[in-house]
Parts: sequence; structure tokens; C-alpha cells
Amino acid sequence: MPESLAVRRSPMSATITRVHEVLDAFAARDHSGEILTAVRHFPARDAQWADFPAWVHADLAFCYAAKGIRRLYIHQAAAAETVHAGKNVVIVTPTASGKTLCYNLPVLNEVLENSDTRALYLFPTKALAQDQLAELHDLNQRLQNRFGVFTYDGDTPADARKAIREKSHVVLTNPDMLHTGILPHHTRWTRLFENLRYIVIDELHTYRGVFGSHLCNVLRRLRRIARFYGRDPQFICCSATIANPGDLASRLLESEVEVLNVNGAPAAEKTFVFYNPPVVNRALGIRRSYINEASRVAQEFLKRDLQTMVFANSRLHTEILLTYLQDANPQPPGKPENIRGYRGGYLPNERREIERGLREGKIRGVVSTSALELGIDVGSLDTVVMAGYPGTIAATWQRAGRAGRRRGSSCAVLVASSAPLDQFIVRHPDYFFGNTPEHAFIQPDNLEILINHLKCAAFELPITPRDKFGDVDLPDLCARLAEAGFLHLAGDNFHWTQEAYPADTISLRSVTSDNFVIVDVTAAPNVIGEIDFPSALAYVHEKAIYLHGGQQHHVEHLDFKERKAFVKRVDVDYYTDAVRYTQVRILEVAAASQQTDAVSLGSAHSRSHGDVLVRSQVVGFKKIKFFTNETIGDGKLELPENEMHTTSYWITLERPLLDSLPFTVSERQSGMFGLLQALESVATLLLMCDCRDLGTAIGERPFILRPLKVAVGPSSYSSDPHAVIPSEAKDHASLSITSPFEADCSPARLQDAISSNAKEFFEPNLYLFDAYPGGIGFSEALFRTHALLIEKTRELIAACPCKQGCPSCVGPAGDLAPRAKEAALAILDRLRA
Amino acid sequence: MPATTDRFSRLAALKPTRPIPARPAALLTPGEADSVGRLLGAGVANTHFGEHLAIRNWFSTPEFTEPSCIALELLSRTRNESLSRKTRTALEDPTKWLFLDTETTGLAGGTGTYAFLIGLGWWDAGGLQVEQFFMRDFTEEYSILHELSTRVVERPVLVTFNGKSFDWPLLENRFTMTRSIAAPKLAAHLDLLHPARALWKLRLGSVRLAELERHVLDAPRLGWHRENDVASALIPQFYFDYLRGGPAEPLAGVVRHNQMDLRGLAALFGKINTLLSEPADSANEIESLDLFGLSRFLQRRGDADRAHSACAQALAIGLPAEFRPKARRDLALMAKRRGEHERAAEIWLDMVADLHEGIHACEQLAIYYERHAKDLAKAAQFAKLAVAALRRQRANSRDLLLTARFARLEEKFLQRVARLGRKSRLSSQARPRDARVVAEPKASSGFW
Repeated sequence: MPESLAVRRSPMSATITRVHEVLDAFAARDHSGEILTAVRHFPARDAQWADFPAWVHADLAFCYAAKGIRRLYIHQAAAAETVHAGKNVVIVTPTASGKTLCYNLPVLNEVLENSDTRALYLFPTKALAQDQLAELHDLNQRLQNRFGVFTYDGDTPADARKAIREKSHVVLTNPDMLHTGILPHHTRWTRLFENLRYIVIDELHTYRGVFGSHLCNVLRRLRRIARFYGRDPQFICCSATIANPGDLASRLLESEVEVLNVNGAPAAEKTFVFYNPPVVNRALGIRRSYINEASRVAQEFLKRDLQTMVFANSRLHTEILLTYLQDANPQPPGKPENIRGYRGGYLPNERREIERGLREGKIRGVVSTSALELGIDVGSLDTVVMAGYPGTIAATWQRAGRAGRRRGSSCAVLVASSAPLDQFIVRHPDYFFGNTPEHAFIQPDNLEILINHLKCAAFELPITPRDKFGDVDLPDLCARLAEAGFLHLAGDNFHWTQEAYPADTISLRSVTSDNFVIVDVTAAPNVIGEIDFPSALAYVHEKAIYLHGGQQHHVEHLDFKERKAFVKRVDVDYYTDAVRYTQVRILEVAAASQQTDAVSLGSAHSRSHGDVLVRSQVVGFKKIKFFTNETIGDGKLELPENEMHTTSYWITLERPLLDSLPFTVSERQSGMFGLLQALESVATLLLMCDCRDLGTAIGERPFILRPLKVAVGPSSYSSDPHAVIPSEAKDHASLSITSPFEADCSPARLQDAISSNAKEFFEPNLYLFDAYPGGIGFSEALFRTHALLIEKTRELIAACPCKQGCPSCVGPAGDLAPRAKEAALAILDRLRA
Repeated sequence: MPATTDRFSRLAALKPTRPIPARPAALLTPGEADSVGRLLGAGVANTHFGEHLAIRNWFSTPEFTEPSCIALELLSRTRNESLSRKTRTALEDPTKWLFLDTETTGLAGGTGTYAFLIGLGWWDAGGLQVEQFFMRDFTEEYSILHELSTRVVERPVLVTFNGKSFDWPLLENRFTMTRSIAAPKLAAHLDLLHPARALWKLRLGSVRLAELERHVLDAPRLGWHRENDVASALIPQFYFDYLRGGPAEPLAGVVRHNQMDLRGLAALFGKINTLLSEPADSANEIESLDLFGLSRFLQRRGDADRAHSACAQALAIGLPAEFRPKARRDLALMAKRRGEHERAAEIWLDMVADLHEGIHACEQLAIYYERHAKDLAKAAQFAKLAVAALRRQRANSRDLLLTARFARLEEKFLQRVARLGRKSRLSSQARPRDARVVAEPKASSGFW
């Protein structure tokens, strides 16, 4: 289904001519019309101008004029006016639309009017703060250093800190530093807090999920301290385009926020192309490697001297792509390398040099991880190639925005991998281009997160009866903390009573900070990486093959006490896949909705969300041969059970629905597992989250008030979808979780057991749960968007050209019963009814 | 609701870090509210901000020590900074002095650490008056801070042990947190930790106050002993336990500990005062290592003459072998700075064979022979000696960083040898009319 290429035949620049040469070449090879699934042309848009507001200080206006800025874009003017009117604001703009002026103008204006004014800028990374520092330094020089601006982060030298606390009008920092370095020492920052007028939060959309839930609590603490010093600061936020910027902002700030969703910045013409690597085996749904294809696409651009940025989704892929492209474009003799890599782990100076090289055009190609997705200034590039879908629509637009930031014409190409999400996106271009980007969710009242921040808050200032911390029941929580020995009630106030400094042990980027280090003991012991606790059980259990930097490692020993995994380099032709056994118990149903009218008993189902207890355990592993994917061995493991209280959304397939399905029991089983996998993929798409943020499980619907017994397959598509559904008989016989495995670990045998059993009473629940203790709000969101989830999942499976299932929809055909794909579709049709 | 109970019991964030002591079940009998006060020998003090407990004791030891001007000058001198007249006047009046030591709820610092016991001491009637303020609960914090503030206004010269970086900043934080009691201004702040470290770290390794009492202050004669002293690390927990209704008895030990720390601090001042004010050569009773420590302290504080004589004396009495090369190196450099080049050269010549200081000695000798003795051949000879020594050390070294450093040094010496060679050729080409000497680059002694 290639779209018409004719739309874009408008007057063209030289760049776009060369871009079109490349596209035409691809189209020519695309006989079946399945490679270029979308070619969209976006015409250039003119700037919409507004004058500087009259209240802007003459010196500031003069200094912007000296930089060549004599007029504002309409969104900049609107932002400045809203801030000037004293309102909280969130500005929604793409990159390169001059958003920094939106906050710098009103903030600096106020500093010039009143030199006591202080402002705090928060950026998600140190690199972004550095980038902004350069811009502010430039403005400051033009203003004869009338204000102080400094970054304050882990790299700030100790002897400079005191001066920064006193002299900095604008402090640029990150949430982590605010959390551990500034708030717990607020008495040293009295100058800042007593005069704190503005808080700028850039890249607001990055604060979603766990990170956002943490930030919301950090802001609660910040505002409490500001109130202590008699201030109620105003917030200025900038966000990339997401579905709910205003909602996210008001949840993070817990106050009213005005949303400015206009953009007056000019845009160059741009072509956006979806590229699906050709199918090499239609029955198995196998496509050509997207990494190789991305490299080929990028090379076509580079060959025509188009400056190109390639995005990969992992460090490893960055390095592979870099190798390919450097091979194809050898370094000119006596000149610096013109294809460079850019990712975390490169030294700051090297990064600065690459950024400069890109701006000056000396570097012709760069391969980057998401590191360049945020607002680092690298100038405008001609083309962007994305190797794999970045995971969210917002991130995709951010990356695409790297091409043609200012003028000229440009092209962005998304090369899809065979993951379900990628395939859904490239086969449904309208979904992507139809302006329905993801929602960002946070759950600041996740108890684990909330209580940790309450500890920090109590450390910072005793908690008084007048204190507010969101809407939470402070006296109750404080009493519990006092009972556990963290706080002590004296008079009306709760005081911190521990020697430890609580912020040090709380990481904003996860719920628990527990992790394992991976030690390579092939030669002298050498730490090669780290892995979080839940993943450790699945990836570095003993005898596992752990992949790091493309190198295989055999796990010799997993030291639970010391949190270390000892590995040795090996070269084998298999990988390992952990067999995880997951049990979900429903604790409390928050909401449920039943679909059982008499007319359509065949569609009888219900959906619910609520609190659950998830117990999971890695009970064994399989050795799987590369390329053929045959299981060549397995083993049992005795690892501790992992218990997590979280929230879940689930669909219950009721008896009449199951009865109406014209499939055998094992086909139904496979259909359900396949369906669950597809549901998960689509859920991550709708929720704007990572696939690791969700867990899946299939269990039996509980009888009323009876604890539920469930067994489940692993959630990733490479894993075995046959994992156990214990029979009704077994369930009654023993509530022990491990019993099926003690009896027999092999899925095939269990499958037999299930099939041979009359499954009369089995009504399955398909669970999608938050993979974080306490939950971070995905479940409720899924419950609300149920209809859309079912609709999009059906589209994903139906549009997949494979015959009996493939990794891009319900899972690889070999792992499933023959009619699994059909069964999944049949269930979906009934759920839609 | 059972689910809710579950939810809290499972939270990692609510797991106690240690067992919580059980609250005693017994009801308080009338008058027992004061039991803590009786236990600590304290009375209830009333201030504008409420109540707290105050404990006052006079001790005959340590005895009053008249601060000597020399000692004060040395103790209060900081780098590139001369004292203002006001500060000096305040310092010289011992009636304005206030010894201070606090017991806190932790060492982490930040806004969540409290000083629950503030101990103060001042000279009175030839001995030491000690006053301690104790908060029975957090509600009494304002009251003890207010009391502290009035005492500091009366006696604005603070004397502490590590109080400059810990106790006083912490108290300043506490004052800021009240938003109503301003932190009092200090006229001067003498902190004895750094002088004590300079003087006794070499000998003792650790300069904790209790160590100093035992090994420096002659503990048996002090008038108190630390046999049943509480361990500092346990103090926060004693207080937390007491707050939660646990036993108050351990707090009596904490109060005593604080008293001993204050008396130790005052005694330590006496000791340092004596050491710094006596002419070094009369200090016969001083151990050689302490003399060397004194010499290093005096060097740092810019009293070169006394530093020199203390060092010479330490060597004369006899230092342990491990410190001798360092002391000789110091002595030679001090001699050089005093212009006694021949004397310095003698010491260096003695050190040439030393493993650690030999290369330094060679470098200094090369400079000495080139500039002062004007013997270029000898200068070159010592530079070559250093090169040979460096090569030996490099061959034996397994440490990559060290090896690289040796290589850099070797390069420098080779350059020196080459330059000396050129210079000697130049001067031998008899050009008496224009005997220009090649400019000498700055000596690299700073590198050491």
C-alpha cells in the first residue's frame, strides 16, 4: 500500500531533490508496495510573529535584538504574557521552536527589575543544563553580567558551591540533585528560597511513570520548603507534544496550569517515510535485519552528501551501526573522522566536540542513542534515520525534529524492526500521523514512593498539622512512620529520628535502588555492568548466558548476599531463557464492568482493575539454539520468590464466550497467550511506557472471596507462551505455587495435562499489571481505554501478513498451536461486540 | 480492610531499621515527670520559648590557663589573612571565651540532624564552669537555642574541637530553622582539631579527644577518667530510645561524656598553649616526635625560626627511623630558606643514598652546586646520579602510575644534565667579556 508519491512534487530545493532520489530508488525496489508503507510530505510553514511585550526591560529587549531577535513567535509572546500575569504555564512545542526564550525572557526580565529575584531551572539531564548554561552565559555577557547563573549538580566543585548558593540568580540543576543536594540542606540556600520566584521545568514529558511520580513528590517537598521561607513560586514548564500535557503538568504541580498549545515557529518542508524491511520468509514472518536496512538507508543519504543522524535504541546497536557506516565512509586521509557515535559513556569534552562538529557541518553523520533526542543544540541536519521505533510517538517526533530544525528541506525515515509495536506503527501510518500521541501517567501516591519522600520531607522540616503533601492523609502516614521508628511526635509536629540521611538511599529513577553488579572473572575481576533486582533473577541466574556488548558470558555464580553475579566470557551457539512462574492474587477490586446481556452471551466478559499481589519466581531455564530456536536443554533453578504488591487491569473471559469459540482447548490456550502478548504491545503504545513497565499473566477467575490460583507464561515474546495453566483438579489439590513444576517442568507435558482435563469451570483472567511495587497508574488507564486497546490489538493482529503467528503479532508460529492467531482474533471479535 | 493492612505491612519503606524498644507499661507516678532531671542532676530552666533542662557544674580541673599571645597568634593565623583588631582584642580576653561541644542525633548533617545536648564551658574561679542544656523533646529545642544564644552573646569567642566544620554549622542550621532566633555573631572561633592533628597525628595516628587525653594530656592527673564512657556511635540511639519511652539512664552517661569532652577540650588548650609559647629549646620534656610535629605546625603557620630549631632539636634527641629522612629534608629546606646553603648541602649529601628522599637531595644538590658553589661538573654529577636512581626505581616498579611519574622525572633530570653540559661548554669557550649565563628555569622543587 504505497502512498502516492505525487503529492510531494512541489517546487523543490536541492536537498529535497537528493532526498527524493533516494526515495525513488527505494520505491523502485519496492515491487510489492510493502516496504515504503508511508511517505508523508509536510509543507513549509511560515513564522507567526508578535511584538515584544511593552513591559520587557529595555536592556533585555536590546540584548535580544543584538542576537537578531527583534520579534517573538506568537507562542513565545503568549508564554511571556502568561508568566507575567502570574500564572503557572505549560508550553507545548516541538524542539527548535525557541522554547528557551519562553522562560528566559520573563525570568530575566524580573531579575533585571528586582535583583533579589531567584529562579530554579530543572532539566532531566546534566547535559541539557550545560547546554542552557551556554545560552544564558551569552545573554549575561550582553547584559554586562547583571545576573548570576550557574549549574549545580554532582560535577560542581565543592569550593564553588558556597558562592553559587549566594550569587546565583538562576540555578540550573536536575531533580536528583534537588532531591539529595539542595532540599536536605535548604538552610544553606536561604538566599534562594527566600526569594524564589520561578521554577522552570523543561522537558516535562520525560517526567512520567516512576520518574514523574518521584518528581511530583520532590516538588511537594520543594513547595513545602518554599512556604517555610514565605514563598509560593510560579511554575513554567515546557513539554514536547503528548496527549495530555495540561493534565500531566497539573498532576505534577498539583495546582492549576494554563496550557499553551500554539506554535508560531516556522518549519521547513519535510518528508516522513516509514520503511518496513522486506519479508524474507512470509510464513514465519521473518524480515530482513532492520539494523542492516537502517544502515543501508543512511548510507544512501550520506552518499549524496546529506548530513544524517541515525538513532538506535540501544548502545550496542549504536556501535554496530557506527561500524557499518564508518566502514562505508572511510576517514579522509589527514582529516578527522566524519562519521561519529554519540551516547552516554562518551566523555563530556568529546560530546561537546561532536556537537560543534555537527553544527559546523564538519561531521557528516552521527549515530546516537536517545541522548540526542532531547534539546541539545546540534544545529539542523538534512536527514534522520531511526533504526527501530523509539517506543513512543512523542519520542519519534522529537527525533524526526532533528532534521531540518531551522530551514531547508529534510527527511526522516523510520525503519521498523519486527517487534509488534514497530509493525503496528508502520502498518498503521494514520494512527501515527493522526495526532493521537500517548498519554503520560504518574502515580505520586504510590505508597512506596510517597512514604520514602515523606521521610525526606520530615528530615527537611518537621511535619506540622498545617502541612500539605498532595491530598494524602498526613497524620495517618506519619503515625505509621513513627511506629516504625522513623519519626517522633513532639507537640503537634513529627520530627525525623534516624541518624541516616534518607535522600541518599532513594533513587528517583526507580522504585527500589537494589541492584546487582556483574563481575567478569575471565581474567582479573572486572565490573562490566549492573542490573536491577527483578531482572537479575531472569538474566543472571546461575548457568545463564548473559549478553553484554555483543559478548556472551556464562554466569558462574550468583551471590545473593553481596548482590554480585560472577560471569566468564564464553563462545557458545545458544542463549538461555528463564522460565518464570507468576501468580496473581486479587486483593481488592477497584472497579469492574460486566458485559453479559442476554442477546450476546457469546461475548460475555468483564474488565476490572484493582490491587493485586504478584508472586513470581524463576523456576528454571531453557537453552535455545541460535537461528533454529530449538530447545536443546533445560534446568531447574532454586531462586527466591519475588513478591510485589501492585495494581492490575484484567479481562475475564466468561464461560459462554469460551463455549462459543470453535477451537480445541489447546488452540484456545494458545490464542489467549498470543492475545495477551499482543495486548501488552498495544498497551505500551497507548500508555507511552516501556514494555518493561508492564507484566502479564493469565490466571483463573476466582470464585467469590476465594484466593485465586494462577499460573502464567513469561511476558516477553521470546519466552515460552505455553507456561503452565494448572488444571482445576490440581488447583484444588494444592495451593502451592510450585507444585506443577515439582511434578514436571516441561511445558509440553503440562499442556497434555491441561488438554486431557475437562476444563469445564475454567474462566481465565488476562492480567496486565504495573511492573512496579504499588503501581504507577497504568492499570486504571488501561481500564478506561479498554475499548481502544481491544480495537488497536485487533488491528495489529489482523494486519499482520503472517499465516499462523509471528514475533510481530501473537508470537512465533513454532511456539503456538496452529490456529492460535485465528483463536486470538475470534476472542477479540467477541470482546468488541 | 485487610487489603489495606497488607499494603502497609508489605512496604519496604516502612521496615524498621532496628527493633523499637517497648514502651514501659508502668504509669507515671506523680512527680516522676522530673525523673530525667533528677537522673541527670538537672533543673528545669524557663525561657521565653519554654522549658528545658539545665545542668551546671564547676570543676577544679583543668585549671585556668592564661593564653599566651604567641600561642594565640599562631592558633588564629590563617592563610593570607591577618586578624582584625577587634578579633584580636576579643581573643586576648579569656573571660570572653566559651568552650562548646554538642551531642547530636547523627553525623549526617543537613536539616534533619538535631543537637539535643549543648555543652558550654568557661573559666571561672581558677577552674572550669560547665553548663549543659538538654532538650527533653523536640518541643524544647527553641528554648535551648535561645539559651545558647544569650551565652554566646556574653562570651563571643568560641573554642571547639572540630566545631568549625561540624558543631557550629549544625547549630547555625538549627537557628535558621527556628525562623525566630537569629544565630549569634562570633567574635572569633578557635578550633583545636587542626593544630592537634598537626602536632600529634605523627605519634598517635588518631587524634580523637579521648586518645589525646590518654597520651598527651596525662590522663591520671586530669581529675576524671573515661573508664565507663559511652561510645560516641551509640549516643543518637540512646536519645531516640529515650524519646520513645525507653530508659533515660544511658543519657546520664551521655551528659558525663559531654562534660569530659568539654574538660578535655579546655585541658587540650592548656597543653597546646604551653607547647606553642615556650621557646622550643627549653622544652626538654617534649618527645622528639612531638617536636617534629611542632616544627611542621610552626612551618605551616609561618614561624620559620622556631620551626627550624624544633626540627633540629627533634633530630638531635633522636627520631624513629621512619621519620628521620622527612625531618632532615625539612631541616635542609629550612636551612636553604634561611640562606645557610652550605649547612643545607651537608644534610643533602647525607641523604643522597636514601631510598625515598635521595632523588630530592640530588636535585637540590644539583641546584646548589650550579648556583651557589658554581661547580657545574659536580652539579651534573648529581643530576646523573638522580637519573641512575630513577632508572633503578623504574625497573623495580610495578605500579603503572608510579612508573610514568619516574619517567617524567627522569626526563627532567636529563634535560638538566643537557643544559648543564651546554652551559659548561659556553663558559669554557673563554668569552670573558660577555659571559652570559643561560637563564635558569625555575627550580622544580615545587614538584616535590
